[in-house]
Amino acid sequence: MLSYEYIKCTDLNLAFQELEEGKQVYPLAGGTDLIVGMRGGKFAAKTLLDIKDVPELKVLEENDRGITIGAAITLNDVVNFAPVRKNIPILAEGCHSVGSYSIRNRATIAGNICNASPAADTAAPLYALEAIINITGPGGERTVPVREFFTGPGKNALQKGELVRSIHIPAPYPEGKGVYLKASRTGSVDLASVGVAVQRWGDKVKVAVGAVAATPVRAHNVEKAINENGETNWAAAAKLSCDDISPITDIRCTRDYRFHLVEVLIRRGLEQTMGVK
Amino acid sequence: MSEKMTIKFTVNGIQEKKEAAVGQTLLKFIRDELHLTGTKEGCEIGECGACIVLLDDRPVNSCLILAVELDGKNLVTIEGLSQNGEMDRLQQAFIDHAAFQCGYCTPGMIMSARALIDRKPEPTDEDINEALSGNLCRCGAYQEIREAVKDASKK
Repeated sequence: MLSYEYIKCTDLNLAFQELEEGKQVYPLAGGTDLIVGMRGGKFAAKTLLDIKDVPELKVLEENDRGITIGAAITLNDVVNFAPVRKNIPILAEGCHSVGSYSIRNRATIAGNICNASPAADTAAPLYALEAIINITGPGGERTVPVREFFTGPGKNALQKGELVRSIHIPAPYPEGKGVYLKASRTGSVDLASVGVAVQRWGDKVKVAVGAVAATPVRAHNVEKAINENGETNWAAAAKLSCDDISPITDIRCTRDYRFHLVEVLIRRGLEQTMGVK
Repeated sequence: MSEKMTIKFTVNGIQEKKEAAVGQTLLKFIRDELHLTGTKEGCEIGECGACIVLLDDRPVNSCLILAVELDGKNLVTIEGLSQNGEMDRLQQAFIDHAAFQCGYCTPGMIMSARALIDRKPEPTDEDINEALSGNLCRCGAYQEIREAVKDASKK
């Protein structure tokens, strides 16, 4: 049996206090990474702070400024939220790629990014949408772009005492199709060998890739070739991705295979979003 | 730490108030404290689905939930499906289609399928595949399981 203290929290200020003053205090939302990690010895939690019923973290709304997803909102709730499906379906695809249906009933999108795996399925779509992370803490509120939130494998930009309050996808939404293409060893449950998000923005495109560097990355060379230099040969543009990524060999696949997968998936993503030439 | 908390919840339609150890998972609590052993322990990392139960009508992996998180919730396990000694139509369909060999995955499969039919009374093959994406069957009875779910959804 695991050993820790459990605190059910419904007041944000009490949460900050626990996080600031306590040692090894871990926020608990869905628990699908946290409990596995504790059992495996990855997290040495002394206190679990259950934040899933904090009212401020249960926001899921759309207004003039965009879509806001609170930290306690599950992946299935994001997948089923009509404004997400209508305006930014690439995010629904990313959320839908995580784990299994039953996992997505508990797991949260905020937990997926806080866990900060470079392979996080929601990350590449959030990078391609230039999402904003709303952080709250004892010192007040601050925001960081998602690309600055991931700072290394398992590391994020949160300071002691802070929590992710919500994830914001700013309006105006992209004009055009977006796709999240995931390569994995099995059809469900497995982590991404690589994950590629390709989002059309009018006649421009944004491309983000997961599981190929210490954090998710944007494929700037691919984007520049298309957006600035007018490249319309998608295969040629996709080839440039090799300078955007620095993959490693691990249990899921080799470094060389990751280079290959990324090139192929970016080409397919460009064909599906920008049209076949 | 053997700290305990008092939790109130509903299990298979009955209101309960019990002590739960803080370090215990919902899965262990269901099996060892509620003595409902239909819910199975498989991988304990949320990959196999043998431990799936319904928490507030949603299928979830009870191995990744703490017992104390049950407080205030409505829990349904495989034991809660039969009514007045009559099996749920999904349970009967699994028997009719021989949708198992060893049967270890069956309670989790049926709970996932029950939730699917409740939210979508006429599921497609794709719906079934998605709903059961977190349920592994090492005997490989997937085809029969899909047929059983389709059959039960028609009734």
